[in-house]
Amino acid sequence: MNLRLHIWRQSGPQDTGMLKTYDVANVSEHMSFLEMLDVLNEDLIAKGELPVAFDHDCREGICGTCGMVINGRPHGPLARTTACQLHMRTFKDGDEIYIEPWRARAFPVVRDLVVDRGSFDRIIQKGGFVSVNTGNAQDGNTLPIPKLDADRAMDAAACIGCGACVAACPNASAMLFTAAKIGHLGSVPQGQAERSTRAMNMVLQMDAEGFGACTNHYECEAACPKGISADFIAQMNKDFVSSAFGGRD
Amino acid sequence: MKAFGEIWESNLFQKWLMAITGLLLVGFLIGHLSGNLLVFMGPDAINEYAHGLRTMLHGTAIWIVRFGLLASFALHVTSAIKLARRNRAARPSSYNTVEHRASTLASRSMLYSGLLLLTYAIYHLAHFTWGAVHSEFYVKACPPSPECTDCIPDVYAMIVSSFQQPVISVAYVLAMIMVGLHLNHAIASASQTLGLRNRRIVPIVRTVGPLLGILVALGFSSVPLAILAGIVK
Ligand code: HEM
Ligand code: SF4
Ligand code: FES
Repeated sequence: MNLRLHIWRQSGPQDTGMLKTYDVANVSEHMSFLEMLDVLNEDLIAKGELPVAFDHDCREGICGTCGMVINGRPHGPLARTTACQLHMRTFKDGDEIYIEPWRARAFPVVRDLVVDRGSFDRIIQKGGFVSVNTGNAQDGNTLPIPKLDADRAMDAAACIGCGACVAACPNASAMLFTAAKIGHLGSVPQGQAERSTRAMNMVLQMDAEGFGACTNHYECEAACPKGISADFIAQMNKDFVSSAFGGRD
Repeated sequence: MKAFGEIWESNLFQKWLMAITGLLLVGFLIGHLSGNLLVFMGPDAINEYAHGLRTMLHGTAIWIVRFGLLASFALHVTSAIKLARRNRAARPSSYNTVEHRASTLASRSMLYSGLLLLTYAIYHLAHFTWGAVHSEFYVKACPPSPECTDCIPDVYAMIVSSFQQPVISVAYVLAMIMVGLHLNHAIASASQTLGLRNRRIVPIVRTVGPLLGILVALGFSSVPLAILAGIVK
């Protein structure tokens, strides 16, 4: 199939950037979206132009590195699918496709479609962990966890930190990501000791990074390739308020 | 320990304040509506009710409620504007194409429906409480005193003569459409903000919230519409 792409080109953080139009011919429907961009880049390199910069790593939908807004939807039109797992059979001959980076103050563009998601790392550093002494791991069965709690923790832990939730949110809010991390650790006994501090510190770090506030549109949930539920946001709201009024830290 | 000031200024705490004060305002609307519907029971019912409100606890009750309302409004509006500005700043460059998948017209227009409501509320007070506009229809409340039984102001006449003016009625109904739009998102949203969410409650609030919005809007609008139609005169 032949496609017309409108791709955001921005040479660096200071550049204002603009959409540029490219035609790609003979795209196979079996290619992934990123492979299609690889083909375009080969072409651009052959012509002596700079290739389109985009992030990717596993190309299996598990690492959270890839991400771009495709026709107004983070990761493209398919639900629960990362850009790397989106295949060209979703599109048809003659389609025009708009490709833009995640847009948020807290995710500055590095180049073209690559954004700096260091703000997510700094949120994690504020409490997305449990502090345990190193040494031998304890026996698996000494800490019984009800199946439902374990499942809930796993549902939250499915977050790959891609940032599509921020990209989709009209307020560029990081609530779904942060709530997934807080909800993951808050669902299991190991996370209880630091639960109150974690909610407080991670939430305040979101603000410090310049993410917006949630207005409960649920665009994040619709865009999330891992189907993280906004239930976790409600849980985080509760954890934060009880930390504000009852926490000791 | 984090200072309370820092917590207070955080997005999540401001949002929580907005939900609490918003729900207080919803409670007020429902109370206000039940009072208004007394119009349908004739002049005496609503006049005595209005007089009762102004003289309850020697006139202090209404001031307690007024202070509560004023504080709720002030907190609700200041946090709404503060958060809206921060949200705008969080997305400095906009997308070329955006597709909405979950948000609604109501959820995206909360700030605008809210600001229109605020504007209307001020006009509404100027009309029915202060008598600053449409003063030809205004009836002055008598000074609150328990002995004064024969000076019950004719609120009924004020309401009927005001709403017989189509312009006043149309403005009122438009404002009530804004209330319905605001509540369409607000009630379910507040339940999420307060963390009241699980598989049991989500279907309930997502039905009851918008329904309550429609009922409140229809209930309030029924008064001017009945007056315009000549059912209440
Ligand atoms: C009778 C008047 C009002 C009632 C009953 C009311 C009720 C509510 C409720 C219950 C919420 C939900 C809070 C949440 O999302 O957690 C809300 C949100 C909101 N209200 Fe109001 N409100 C009123 C007036 C206003 C006014 C005057 C403004 C003016 C700016 C306003 C602006 C907003 C905004 C911007 C939101 C946030 C929406 C969001 O986060 O999605 N409201 N309101
Ligand atoms: S919550 Fe979903 S959309 Fe957001 S970072 Fe995690 S996986 Fe990506
Ligand atoms: S490249 Fe790893 S999730 Fe897409």
